[in-house]
Amino acid sequence: MPSRAVQLEAQPPGPALNGNRRTLEGILTILLFILAIGGWKAYVVFKGVPEYLLPPPERVLDSLVELIVSGEVFKHLFVTLSEVIVGFVIGSIGGILAGYLLGRWRLVEEIFSPYILFAQTAPKIALIPLFVIWFGLGLTSKVVLIVSMTFFPVMVNTILGLRSIDTNVRNLLRILKATAWQRFISVELFASLPLIFAGLRLGMVQAVIGAIVAEWVSGKTGLGYLLVLGNMTYNSGLLIAAILLTTLLGIVTYMAVMAVENRVLYWHESKAKIGGQDV
Amino acid sequence: MGEVAISIRGVSKIFRSGAARKTVEALKDINLDIYREEFLSIIGPSGCGKSTLLSIIAGLTEPSEGEIILKGGSNNSRRPNIGFVFQDPVLLPWKTVLENARFPLDIIGDRSKESLDNLAGLLEVAGLKGFESALPKELSGGMKQRVSIVRALSYNPEVLLMDEPFGALDALTRDKLNQVLLDIWNERKKTVVFITHGIDEAVFLSDRVVVMTPRPGKIHDVIEIGLPRPRTREVRESPDFLRYTKVLRDLLG
Repeated sequence: MPSRAVQLEAQPPGPALNGNRRTLEGILTILLFILAIGGWKAYVVFKGVPEYLLPPPERVLDSLVELIVSGEVFKHLFVTLSEVIVGFVIGSIGGILAGYLLGRWRLVEEIFSPYILFAQTAPKIALIPLFVIWFGLGLTSKVVLIVSMTFFPVMVNTILGLRSIDTNVRNLLRILKATAWQRFISVELFASLPLIFAGLRLGMVQAVIGAIVAEWVSGKTGLGYLLVLGNMTYNSGLLIAAILLTTLLGIVTYMAVMAVENRVLYWHESKAKIGGQDV
Repeated sequence: MGEVAISIRGVSKIFRSGAARKTVEALKDINLDIYREEFLSIIGPSGCGKSTLLSIIAGLTEPSEGEIILKGGSNNSRRPNIGFVFQDPVLLPWKTVLENARFPLDIIGDRSKESLDNLAGLLEVAGLKGFESALPKELSGGMKQRVSIVRALSYNPEVLLMDEPFGALDALTRDKLNQVLLDIWNERKKTVVFITHGIDEAVFLSDRVVVMTPRPGKIHDVIEIGLPRPRTREVRESPDFLRYTKVLRDLLG
């Protein structure tokens, strides 16, 4: 067979090129943002859009500044964030524990599976009125909703994580005569972490959605309440400001989970290699 | 040849595949004595049941008939007297090389200086010195398999069972690891049962090669490899070596 040189993969760009490219990308991203805001402003001015439909961008900025200067925003952020954190922590711990119970004993899973399917697929948001009747208008009803929304993705992923342990790892543990506790503490716990974290990320997104929707329905404070307030008073500047704050909260909480994941799963293939060695 | 370490007596294995009620005879009436400190390879086409046989010897699979008698070994019930090397390295990715290699000792609860020194020696023979704190994802396939071999020997078992350990590696790495394995074997003198489908590898490593045929899995022949030790590159290139590979190739048809 005649030999021939084949370029299989594009050469990775060198460090200098990489740096330049990153700067360029940054500039373009900012440019795009300015363009979008400019387009928004131009549309509102030239089309004469009434403010309650779409306020100009500076009105949104005004609302944001006002919220921050008056300190109002911190009250709302604090309420929503505490609901998210309390609900997420309880929901994930519950999800991990339930996942382990169900993942380890198939019998338990088989007994519970129809109920779990029911509870998992029922739109939890439909339960808010019931939670309000049971737990009142305060923090509890909202936390209960968030727990119910965080619990399932975490539990399902924990079960998957336990089930995905390599057969030969189990064989190794059998050969070494490892006890159930040793199997759990030295292998199962760690081996299921990548999937547990995938569940935690989903759970965090759900937790923020849960908090906003719960406040929307029954809140006196919180970002969800701000959304309703902006809506009811036709204060679209406030409404869009609240939407931005909600998105920000979503991003920050998600990044927090990612940051913990990167620390805990530093050993995982999905995380960057530290360096390569050959035989 | 001396003392028998493992005695395989009339072992058969029938697999039942669920719904269709079909049965597959994976192994039929296997009788074999494996001697202490012998390097024995089992070779055969895929589906001849060689991996099943190894799994039965390891106690991971129950035979349908017959028995395995493991002789000697420690009476300590917590310390297993077999080491197993899988085709994949099966390392725990969150543990470093040293932690992976030490894993069996941690499970057994052996923290003695003697065992840890023994482990350090093994890591050195396997060419892993300097890599103790590396994570598996930083290692090549060959390096990972070295760790897996060291791990299997960390608790000093009498018997080392290897299930096509180098089957997934490229030819160069495989040759290198064959040499590493022989170095370790020379130094530690274990009873090795080595499953392979590589004829060269089987001849190069073994004292005896068991040839199996499929459907049902049976022992077709046992060939004594009379090549001198230590096995060097010259041995690999000698006419005798070629003669043995030819014999095996003919047997495997």
